[in-house]
Amino acid sequence: MSEIELLVAEPIPPADGSGLEDGDAGDGKNRFWIRFKRNKVALAAAGFLMVLAVCSVLLAPFITGHDPNQATNFSDFFKPPSGDYWLGTDAVGRDILTRIVYGGRYALLAGLIACTVALGIGIPLGLLIGYFRGWVDRIIMRFVETLVAIPAVVLAIAIIAVVGPGLVKAMFAIGIVYSMVITRLTRAEVFAAREELYVDGARASGASNRRIMFRHILPNIAPALIVQTTLLFAQSVLAEAALSFLGLGANQDQVSWGLMLNNAKTNINRAIWPAIPPGLAIFVTVVAFNVLGDGLRDAFGREARGGRVGVGDVVRAPASGAGPSRDSIVSVRDLSVHFPRPGTSEDVAVVQGVNFDIAHGEVLALVGESGSGKSISALSLLGLVPDPGQASASSIMFDGEELVGKDFDELRSIRGKEIGLISQEPSAALNPAYTVGRQISEPLRHHLGLSKSAARQRTIELMTRVGIPNPEVRIDAYPHQFSGGMAQRVVIAMALACRPKLLIADEPTTALDVTVQGQVLDLLGELSEELGVSVLLITHDLGVVADLADRVAVMYAGQIVETGRLAEVFHEPNHPYTEGMIRAIPRNENRSSELATIPGVVPPPWQWPTGCHFAPRCDYADERCDQPIELQPAGHSLTRCVRAEELDLDGVANESVVLGIGGAAAFQNPGETSKATEEVPRYD
Amino acid sequence: MLGVGTIVFFMSQLNPVDPTAALLGDDVNLETIAAKRAELGLDRPVLEQYFDWLSSAVRGDLGESWFTGESVTTELIRRANVTFSIVFGSLLIALTLGVSLGVMAAIKAGRWQDRLITVTSSLGIAVPNFWVALILAAVFAVKLGWFPAIWTGERTETLGGWLYSIVLPCIALGTASSAAIARQTRSSMIGVLQQDYIRTALAKGLPVRRVLFRHALRNAAIPVVTLVGFQLSALIGGAIFVEFIFNVPGLGTAGVDSVLRKNVPVTLGFVMITTFVVVVANILLDMSYAWLNPKVRK
Repeated sequence: MSEIELLVAEPIPPADGSGLEDGDAGDGKNRFWIRFKRNKVALAAAGFLMVLAVCSVLLAPFITGHDPNQATNFSDFFKPPSGDYWLGTDAVGRDILTRIVYGGRYALLAGLIACTVALGIGIPLGLLIGYFRGWVDRIIMRFVETLVAIPAVVLAIAIIAVVGPGLVKAMFAIGIVYSMVITRLTRAEVFAAREELYVDGARASGASNRRIMFRHILPNIAPALIVQTTLLFAQSVLAEAALSFLGLGANQDQVSWGLMLNNAKTNINRAIWPAIPPGLAIFVTVVAFNVLGDGLRDAFGREARGGRVGVGDVVRAPASGAGPSRDSIVSVRDLSVHFPRPGTSEDVAVVQGVNFDIAHGEVLALVGESGSGKSISALSLLGLVPDPGQASASSIMFDGEELVGKDFDELRSIRGKEIGLISQEPSAALNPAYTVGRQISEPLRHHLGLSKSAARQRTIELMTRVGIPNPEVRIDAYPHQFSGGMAQRVVIAMALACRPKLLIADEPTTALDVTVQGQVLDLLGELSEELGVSVLLITHDLGVVADLADRVAVMYAGQIVETGRLAEVFHEPNHPYTEGMIRAIPRNENRSSELATIPGVVPPPWQWPTGCHFAPRCDYADERCDQPIELQPAGHSLTRCVRAEELDLDGVANESVVLGIGGAAAFQNPGETSKATEEVPRYD
Repeated sequence: MLGVGTIVFFMSQLNPVDPTAALLGDDVNLETIAAKRAELGLDRPVLEQYFDWLSSAVRGDLGESWFTGESVTTELIRRANVTFSIVFGSLLIALTLGVSLGVMAAIKAGRWQDRLITVTSSLGIAVPNFWVALILAAVFAVKLGWFPAIWTGERTETLGGWLYSIVLPCIALGTASSAAIARQTRSSMIGVLQQDYIRTALAKGLPVRRVLFRHALRNAAIPVVTLVGFQLSALIGGAIFVEFIFNVPGLGTAGVDSVLRKNVPVTLGFVMITTFVVVVANILLDMSYAWLNPKVRK
């Protein structure tokens, strides 16, 4: 997973409170209540429903002095709201408020009957077929699918046709209809749950089928059932009102909101008012149940939150040092990226004052662990920092053009035409709905204005160049018909389609099989040389760096900590973090010794110290490291370490010993890297 | 289909009330009842009745109304035209409104436009359609007189007149579905917009509009299509209420009336035709999955 995804998917907070306690730690039930209590709207809904229940069931006779079914004074029909009748009276002079309050009883009773029937039939049936599967499942599901195909109201009407009208009978009918929903849900949940390890564990310990179902599976499918039942309760209240409205539910002695609407309809020509309160009562009750259901769902687990699309341009920041270099293809000065900290209004800088230059035809590797800010720095060049992130820089010069201050649409002529992007996960980077040919030719047609046939011809050439066999046929294949390595070749063809001057390769081999990684790296190396394209290579894999890069910039926690020519940084690192990364490379020699690692992980941005960011994980840290530190010349490179001059750090001792994870040997002649076995294309 | 027919047929046999009693009134002697039963074929064994009904139903003949003696098929198909005009109109409203609001909310996720649409649609799905219909009828037809309060669809032969008569029912029926579709579109759009291929499309320098409508919406549409299947079923059910309020001579009014009057052939035919349409619609939806998602193509 790239940092971008992490930043978007992970720290985006629940509405308030800190995002950290949502981690894996902590008791599930507690976490549920903490989250639920934070949801003020859902709490209000729960409160409203409780008030409704108490008022209508227990307190109804004390709230109003009127009788729900008898007019207090028969001449008072169609009265507007007044002191005597707060919500007015209906056609026969009954007090509307009284009827609304009593109506709550029947609405809740109706929901209770329907949900009890639905759960009473649905859960056992779903558990049964979900657990035993086989022919039991097939027969019952055929039956369930048949009934589900009929609109719920139509099915309820058909059942009422048999059992006759009436509130309880109607709600039984509704309950039977909804039991199909519960059956399907329970079955699906059981199917998923029984594959989980805890069922295997329970079975291995000798638990009986019944015990497994009730003790292990039921509690685990409870969240989904609770949410669904709340929503069904809302539907039941609606259904009761609907059927009573048609005259198929409550009879005239029972005070139902639906029946009140039915009476109002009869007299709608004389007065509209009596139709308003019962409708509102139904509406508010249904909203309350829905909101409660949504709140419960959110408390059990949240859905991903998004941001705006079509923003991401870089705003101007004051310059801190030397201006941009005019000779380079890219020259970045004072690049910072801010994101709002989860659960607070405060912004944190995930990238801080990054400067770099890439010469024409040069490959610069931006190296660092996940969370170091390397991907997001690269996306800033394209104006694609995801919302709500905000990039700023004093200057981003690209091929003599200042990109800072250009808006999203102005940058479109750069994206895809002048700068190509290759991302980490090739299968995710391609749109599953379109053929690869269409996706490769899209920039050709858009930027270069090629005709359909010319674009197709050029696409076939590109596919041939990146080594996709049989391109005339494969051009019409869909992304899922390609293996990972072949899909990455498609992405490379797409990025190079308009002959860009710069290629941003974001972890181009990380998601690929080890055997394929070398091939894709070789292809990238060949193409960058052949086309003279500069490359910004983003990776955490020093083997990849050794294979391709001319220069290296090592990033840690939002800052560049060391930058210089590849050989110099590798042989004589001046920053302890660089040394740590070099130590962590698997080597040919000393196979027997344990592979060194840097203890810990990059902390979240709000925990970065004001002094040296690496100090908490650094073996060499002392009190001087508490002060902020700038990049300074040290040896042949620039380094962000106060102790750079005094430390003697270990680099790569011998030119032939760096062996990347990609299997490509560093400092070898490019010709020696193996072509390995050609990948077999997959046709599915 | 046949399964539904079978279930409903046998359920109707469970009816404890003798339909002929309702048919002839209270004031009849036993001979009249027996004669009527023989006339309707109700004295035959249940299985014989069932196979008789089933074999006709497969050929499109749903029998005759016990009251009017008219062909159920002819009558219901005439009424189905009206009902499905309303259902189709509401679906059109629901899709247009729901998808555009959902997309709008997704691309403004977290901003005020998103909050407004999210809150409105949460409220929208809770509005009872028959209440909306009742209020619309009361305000626009009865009070303001802008629209006909009683059904005029069959008397006006022009397209304009026809549209005029179904516009209120369509709005009443389409509201809740619009809200449901907007919610689903929003959440699946947000999911899709987080995908790498959207970043790829943006990195190609394509206009945002093209990325949203060509690259994102097509993938986001898959769960929306599933929802449309459910909504279609709900709309057909909801049409019953809207017809009841606007006095539209549609399938729903016939169905409810047949239940209240125990006119079994009409009830059976009502359930069969409704189910038939839902099944056909679901086949069409399944076909659209294949278009939207190449992975399910054979």
